[in-house]
Parts: sequence; structure tokens; C-alpha cells
Amino acid sequence: MDPARRLGPAQIDVLAQLAVATVLLGGIYALIAVGLTLIFGIMRVVNFAHGEFLMLGMYLAFWAFALYAVDPYVVVLLSIPVFFVVGLVTYVLVMRGVIQASHNVQIFTTVGLSVVLQNVALVAWAGDFRFVRPWHLSTVIRAGSTTFNLSQVVAFLIAVGLTVALVAFMKWTHAGRVMRATAQDRDAATLMGIDTDRVYRLTFAIGIAAVGAAGVLVAPLYAIYPTAGLQFVLLAYVVVVLGGLGDMFGAMLGSFIVAAVEVAGSYLFGTAWKEIFYFILFILVLVFRPAGLFGQRGAETLGV
Amino acid sequence: MSRVALGIIVATLAILLGGGPDAVRGQAPTGEYKIGVLEPLTGNLAFEGKRHMEGLEVVRDLINERGGVMGKKLVFAVADATDPTAAASEANRLITREGVKIITGTFSSRLCGAASEVAARHKVIYWESSCVDPRFNKRDLKYVYRTEIDATGFGWYNIEFIAKHLAPRFNLKPNQLKVAFLSEDSSYGQGVTESARQRAKTEFGMQEVMLEYYNWTTLNDMTPTILKMKQLNPDVVHHIGFGNDAVLFWRQSKEQNFLFKALVHAGATGYGGADFGKALGNDANGVFALLEPGPGFRLEALRPEGQQIEKAFRDAIQKRTGTYPFGAHQLAGAGLWLLKLVLDRAKTDDPEKFNAAVMSLDMPVGSMINGWGVKFSEVGQNANDRVQHYMLQWQNGQLVTVWPEEFTTLRAKWIPLGAWDQRK
Repeated sequence: MDPARRLGPAQIDVLAQLAVATVLLGGIYALIAVGLTLIFGIMRVVNFAHGEFLMLGMYLAFWAFALYAVDPYVVVLLSIPVFFVVGLVTYVLVMRGVIQASHNVQIFTTVGLSVVLQNVALVAWAGDFRFVRPWHLSTVIRAGSTTFNLSQVVAFLIAVGLTVALVAFMKWTHAGRVMRATAQDRDAATLMGIDTDRVYRLTFAIGIAAVGAAGVLVAPLYAIYPTAGLQFVLLAYVVVVLGGLGDMFGAMLGSFIVAAVEVAGSYLFGTAWKEIFYFILFILVLVFRPAGLFGQRGAETLGV
Repeated sequence: MSRVALGIIVATLAILLGGGPDAVRGQAPTGEYKIGVLEPLTGNLAFEGKRHMEGLEVVRDLINERGGVMGKKLVFAVADATDPTAAASEANRLITREGVKIITGTFSSRLCGAASEVAARHKVIYWESSCVDPRFNKRDLKYVYRTEIDATGFGWYNIEFIAKHLAPRFNLKPNQLKVAFLSEDSSYGQGVTESARQRAKTEFGMQEVMLEYYNWTTLNDMTPTILKMKQLNPDVVHHIGFGNDAVLFWRQSKEQNFLFKALVHAGATGYGGADFGKALGNDANGVFALLEPGPGFRLEALRPEGQQIEKAFRDAIQKRTGTYPFGAHQLAGAGLWLLKLVLDRAKTDDPEKFNAAVMSLDMPVGSMINGWGVKFSEVGQNANDRVQHYMLQWQNGQLVTVWPEEFTTLRAKWIPLGAWDQRK
């Protein structure tokens, strides 16, 4: 029998470590997906340039560290206002013009934006792999036989915090209620005196601020290069569809499911299989529960 | 001011300021000879493609200082081969618009197949310096040559090193060694891994405990793979990495305290690239990568003509980049220098005469840049045993030459690799 599959004390340690890997990897995916699901849910726009904003966040962490030796955990605070403004500017320059247009036009626009950003990064910063190496890089916390990478633990905690904060914001603030109202029915919201353009501007800016901060947080863990965003963005779409469009907690749970499928698939069958498994899951969800595992039936057509 | 007048003034100024014909060394070339250069200069592969360009430009200048090619100054028509489609269409453009009779390139195994196909269709000479896809020379295409060994050659050298250098130092016989094969899934990774597996098994009877391929562009966590490997307890990890995956594997192996005796890689990507050292600093200590020669390489081990050009090349790269040449510089540079040697002999770019010149070249190891020799097979492939390769090891932030020992002043350390915090 394959020694990797024999059950014993060593195997239980492995299971524990696989569970830890799932949770920590899921944290990273959730961090990236939460901004995407927000924009998706409120604006009904699939932002194909989402990964590129992640990449810009990674570069922000890199340059702050390389030029001024600023720790990524300090940069992350700075990144939120910076990317909020980046989001606002992008909305005004690019998204506003297509927000009423058909989905095809929106897809072309955001894919175009993605290609532009990748190539701007390539021209400005070259194609090299770059790395951020703060002192806490690959600091490991050991608990029994399991190990936790500190940067991943931090990313996980912030992902949870960010999700809870966004859910609270949507639920209990006036701005959040206005955003939900706009998502449910754009025309009715306009008739009620809601400035939908302002709502979209705010939504897009918050979504981009979230993914920019995510980029800063994952910078110590992965190589930084102009197409780094592509590494995560496909996954983020799977997560968002799995969780239900616009459902923040759903996105978080979706992240853990995708991470679990990936980790278990890699361990049991080999790394090459992991994508097969989570895309099968993706297709099954689209076929049987198009609103997502946790979304309400019919929610996928809201406001479209 | 008319454009003509402006042109004359600019040209005069250029000559006065020292841009005129260089008559310092060798006979001054008259006229220009243009070849096509295809490298990925944007996109995913650009980071290596740009280094290839540096190597090519440095050797072009060395060639022109030594009289150029066929009495003419060598110049480039450069094209950006981002992906296989662009490689093919740009090769076409170089041939039909720029009128080149020779194309060189392309770094990646993803690109060379498409580009050479186009060149062969137009009866244009295709001179590959770096791609190592084993299928490249097996397509029955005419006038297609490769100066570097193919991926099977890399696998051959890696197993040579594991069996003849590592095994004795572990006090094990080659057939007692447990080897785990891990690789990114490009044709390069598969070519090296499959040839290494085959030689390990048939020639030395090594025990293969694992084989796994993955797509490096979507790899976010290697913990599951490492946990699996840990239980299989290999002596040697044969890992062909590309970029982020090499760093991820090494960092997470440390986190999981995965202990093995050695890790062996081949090529200028992954563990063989400068970025790996930058990402990990001294934590990179101990990794082996099969490459072109690095620091520690003994010039005296080469033949006199080889010493001369190797030194000039190394100095020129040092002057331009401030570092010892990287693999990308060396592959592109050696390839272009070899092209010059062929053109010196053929004295024409007529494909048939060029081919005769290529086939007649017979130079022993140590004759040129990288200590290479030359002997092409009928399918246009330079021979494994002439294209000498070297095992380099990461030692305190630098990749240094450690094997074969007659070519280097430095020695391999950390054999077997000890605990993670003791590799200093």
C-alpha cells in the first residue's frame, strides 16, 4: 500500500497539518474574493481586472519595502486609502461609462483594463520575479506537530476581520442599506432618490481598497511579477460563484471549500489534479445551484 | 531646416562624438549584415528574454570588435516573441519584411518550435541558442540548428552527478538511493524529468519513490505535496522548478522541517535563476542547479582560444550588468559566438554551404564560451558530451560552480544537507 495513505499517528499529524493548510490558504482566497464579491453583488459587474489590482498591491508592498524598508504590515494601513482613491479614479475614468451597458461591453472593458495594467507594470517594473523579505518572513508558529506560517495567520485574521466589517457595514449603516437597495433594483433606488452613481463609485472604491490591501498582505508569501494576479483571480471567480454573488460570508465559506478541495486533491491525487476538482465543483454548482451554495434562489438575476 | 541637412548634421556629430567606425581592433567591418533575433521581451517570459538580449548584444559587440561576420558589421532586427503565436508571426515578419536569412532566439521551449517551423518553411536558417525541447530536432526540418543540449541532456547530467558525486558522499550505492521526481509541467520540465527518470532506473537502478507534475502558474501552496514526500522519505529530490514554485517548495519545506539529503535542479529557471537567491538569501544554501559555469570556474581548464573569448565575454557582461554572467547571458552569448564561427567558415548565408560548414566544425571541450566544444549531429543538434555542463550550488547568496571538480576551484558543501538552521 502506498505509505502516504496508511493510517497511524503520523497520519493524524498529517491530517492536522492539511487542515491547517486548508484554513490558511482559504484565508488568502477569502481576502482576495471579498472585494470581488462586493463589486459583483452590488454593481453586477464582473471585474476581470481584479487580479491586477491585487498585483498593484503586491508591488506597493515591494516598493515600500525596497525603497523605504517599510514593513508590509504598516503598508497595509496605508494601502487602504491609496487603493480607495485608485478605485475611485478607475471608476470615474473607466467603469462609469459602461455601467449601464451590456455585460459583454463590461467584460471587454475590464479585460482590457486588466491587459493595460499588466503591461503598464511590465514596462514600469520589468518582468522579474520580486520578493519582499521582512524579518517575520517564514516565521513559523509550532503547535504540537503542526506548523503555522505567521504571514498566513495574519492574512487569515485580517480576511475574517474584513469580511465581518463589510457585512456589518452593509447591514447596519445607511450607506450599506443604500448599496443593498441599489443592488436589488437600480431603477427603484433611483426613484427613491438614491444617487446610484455615487453608490457604484463607493462600492468600486471599497472593493478595490480590499483587494489592494490583500495584495500587500500576500506580498511576503508569493513572487511579485506583472501577471501575478492571474495566479489567484480564476480561483476568486470560483469562490464567488460558489458562495453566491454578493454574499460576503458565502465568499468566505467558498474560499475554505476551494482550499479544502485543492489541499485534499493535491495530497491524495497530485497537484496536477487540484484544478480539475475545483472546476468540477464549480460546474456542478452552476448547474444545480446557480445562485451559489449559500445564495438565495433567483438572486443571480437581481438587478440585471 | 530640411530633413536631409538635419540628417547630415546628426551623422557628423555622431561620428565626431565617437560613434564612427571602430577601427581599434581587427579589420574594420564594411557594410552591415542583419540577422533576426526573436526573444520574449514582454509577457511572462520577459525576465529571461531580456537577459538573453543582453547576452546577444554583448557578444554582437565582441564580434564587431573582431571584424564582424563575413567582413560586415553584425546588426540585429529584434522581434518580441511573447507567446508561440507571436513567435511564429514575428518570425514571418523578420523574413518577409526585414529580409533576414538567419534567425536566432528564443529562450523558451514554448517558442522555438513555432518560430523554427516558419523559418524552415521559408528556407531560412534557424539558430536556436536556448530552448531545450527534445522534439525540436526531431521534426525533420532543414536548416534548423541548436547549440545548447536538449532537455534529455540535462537529465543525463543530473543523474551523472547524483550517481557519481552525491551517492559516494552519502556512503550509498546508486541503487540504494531513493529519488523523488517533482517538476513543473512544461515540455522543458517533462523532458528533463523523463530522461532523468529513465537513466536513473535503467543505468543505475535508483528507486523512484514519487513522480509529480504541476502547473507553476496556478500553484499557491505546496504543503500537501511536501507532507506526502515527507512520508516517502527520499534521499534526493529531483525538482525542476520555474519561478515562484521553487521558492514556495523550499520555503514550505523549511516550515514543515522536511529533511532530505540533496535537491537537484537543472536550467536557468527556478532554483537556477538569480531571483531564487534574492528571495531566500542564505536560506537558499545547499541547492544544486545544473547550468553553465559560474564563479569558481577555472579559466585555465580551457584551451587557449576558449580562455580568451570566455574572459572577454565575462568581462563585458560584468561591465554591463555588474555581475557574473547568468545562464541566459551564457546560452545566448555562446550561441551567437558559435554562429560567427560557422559564418567565418562558410563565408556565406547560403543554406547549403552554411550547413556544410556547420557539419564540418569539430572542436573539443574547452574551445569557446562556457568551455563548450562543437560537434553537430545530422539533425543539427550539438553533442551532449561537447556542450559541457556544470553543477552549481547556492552558497551564501551566490550560485557557484562545484562540479566537475577539474573545472572549478570551489567544492560542494552540505552533503548531505543537515538540519535547516545549520546550513551556514
